[in-house]
Amino acid sequence: MSAPERDCWLEGEGDQATLFLAGAWHLSRIAEIDAALAGAAVPASPIALDGAALTRLDTAAALALLRRLAQAGASVARLVHFSAGHTRVVEAVRGRLGDTVAEAPPRRYGALAVIGLHVVDFRGLMHGHLDFFGRSAAALGDIALRPRALRLKELAAQFHHVCVQAIPVVVLVTFLIGIVLTYLLGLQAEKYGANIFVVDGVAIGMSRELSPIIVAVIVAGRSGAAFTAQLGTMRLTEEIDAIRTLGLSPMQVLVVPRLLALLIALPLLVFVGDVSGMAGAMTVANPLLDITPATFLDRVQSGLRLDHVIVGLVKAGVFAVVIAIIGCRMGMTVSRDSRSIGTSTTSTVVQCIVAVILLDAFFAIVFQELGY
Amino acid sequence: MSAAPVLEVDSIVTRFGEQTVHDGVSFSVPRGQIAAVIGGSGSGKSVLVREIIGLQRPSAGRVRLLGTDVWSASEEELTALRRRFGMLFQDGALFSSLTVAQNVATPLVEHAEVPPHLLGPLVRLRIALAGLPVEAATKMPSELSGGMRKRAAVARALALEPEMLFLDEPTSGLDPITARAFDRMLRFLCDDLGLTILLVTHDLDTLLGVVDRVIVLAVGRVIADGTVKEVMRVDDPWLQSYFRVRTMLEGPENQLGT
Repeated sequence: MSAPERDCWLEGEGDQATLFLAGAWHLSRIAEIDAALAGAAVPASPIALDGAALTRLDTAAALALLRRLAQAGASVARLVHFSAGHTRVVEAVRGRLGDTVAEAPPRRYGALAVIGLHVVDFRGLMHGHLDFFGRSAAALGDIALRPRALRLKELAAQFHHVCVQAIPVVVLVTFLIGIVLTYLLGLQAEKYGANIFVVDGVAIGMSRELSPIIVAVIVAGRSGAAFTAQLGTMRLTEEIDAIRTLGLSPMQVLVVPRLLALLIALPLLVFVGDVSGMAGAMTVANPLLDITPATFLDRVQSGLRLDHVIVGLVKAGVFAVVIAIIGCRMGMTVSRDSRSIGTSTTSTVVQCIVAVILLDAFFAIVFQELGY
Repeated sequence: MSAAPVLEVDSIVTRFGEQTVHDGVSFSVPRGQIAAVIGGSGSGKSVLVREIIGLQRPSAGRVRLLGTDVWSASEEELTALRRRFGMLFQDGALFSSLTVAQNVATPLVEHAEVPPHLLGPLVRLRIALAGLPVEAATKMPSELSGGMRKRAAVARALALEPEMLFLDEPTSGLDPITARAFDRMLRFLCDDLGLTILLVTHDLDTLLGVVDRVIVLAVGRVIADGTVKEVMRVDDPWLQSYFRVRTMLEGPENQLGT
């Protein structure tokens, strides 16, 4: 009487209505089972279920069954010919049906609200950075009062990583920028026979603007990201909590050495960049513009005021503090999941680069007004 | 149901360099049983489980799990097999950047064609079956207590209606009350949902309370295999001292538990 391929069918009417279930009611066939139940035209009254032909019944299929019955307004009057195991599965699901009711979907925000949320987030972020800056300054103040609290070993290790290991990439990049800049300026200056002023342009441009910016971006990508990733991992593995419970201050142990290392390293790297950029300029000045190295150096001496170099180095110090503060703080505040280290590290690099360029624009105006 | 065992482990040998961890470990687990593997630290219990579920290749020996020979199966056979068992790692190994509900939904979305309107209810049914409150669904793993994290991991392991569940130290780090509730959940999964369970444990209360069968690993071999009562009678110094802790605490008359 029954086609074996059918999953379920209804027989009888009213109180006698019985839903026959057959075959393997398993998660792998859940879509077909659900469709079969939807097509079974279940009456809105108590019905009996017959499980004589069931070969398998798992909780997913039982859930689909009970939900379809509930949606149709039917209820289970009794289970007929169910094996003991299948009965237990149905009862286990029936007892938890109330827990499976969908909760309201998460609220969706409009465009304006999203902008507002981001503004509030941004304010919180800035507030946090400022707070962290203050605490770092206080920690530095402690060091000034008790110089022995400074962790020289950690400072040296950080300095090695932040400065010494960064020299090759800084030299390479600024050397190439020096070449490109000389080439560009040279093409224009040659038209006016003003070859020698290329030296002034490159020397001032490199030492005042380009070298600080480029080195700061390199360091933000190398060290800022590394600070966030290191401290973030330490936070995830509760190492920072351990430092605190051992009576040590994470600010003293972790942040101050990194901040000081960067504060020393960045001006040095900028100076390396200055020299390397001018070396790059010098190598192409001879073949391109007929400026011999001797003439080049002579012109640098007369054309490049010390002010320009000092402005570049001062900016480098400020950039160092900004990168260290952002890098360390983002690391110390990662939330406790694996993805947040990645997002925090990305955020550190983006924040550092934006902050460096914003500050540089600010300095350009201020130093101009001050007459440097 | 078939009478063939769900899991057959046949003369497994594991060597790490010079050190031999397993030297011919064999046992089998029939359907619908809760079996526990015990042994001292370093006796290779966790390694054995990793070898059974295909994460780590033994130096020699055969593992037959749900009718598939794990170490000679093709990648497709292994993928199909992996849908038929669940594994609970020691610390839960939940995906920390997903909510509990998303964690449970991951295998369902990947491996089963669940109609969209059933996915949410099914995920919450899993969460309820694992004994978690509904509110836990929207929480991140980092917001849960240790016991709840383990239950969430069980909910994820149950997602695909496995026939067998492996648990690595499920009650370690839980307080005794939470641990006993966890044990009851295991019994429910085994009795009502028909799962076969193999667990690695150090928890004597779990052994005495819910486990049908104990497999004792020592010096690279199975030195005892049977019900708790049988195993307690085995004359082995390590086993004797293992169970003596319990006897000291409660007196000999209670040592068999209930």
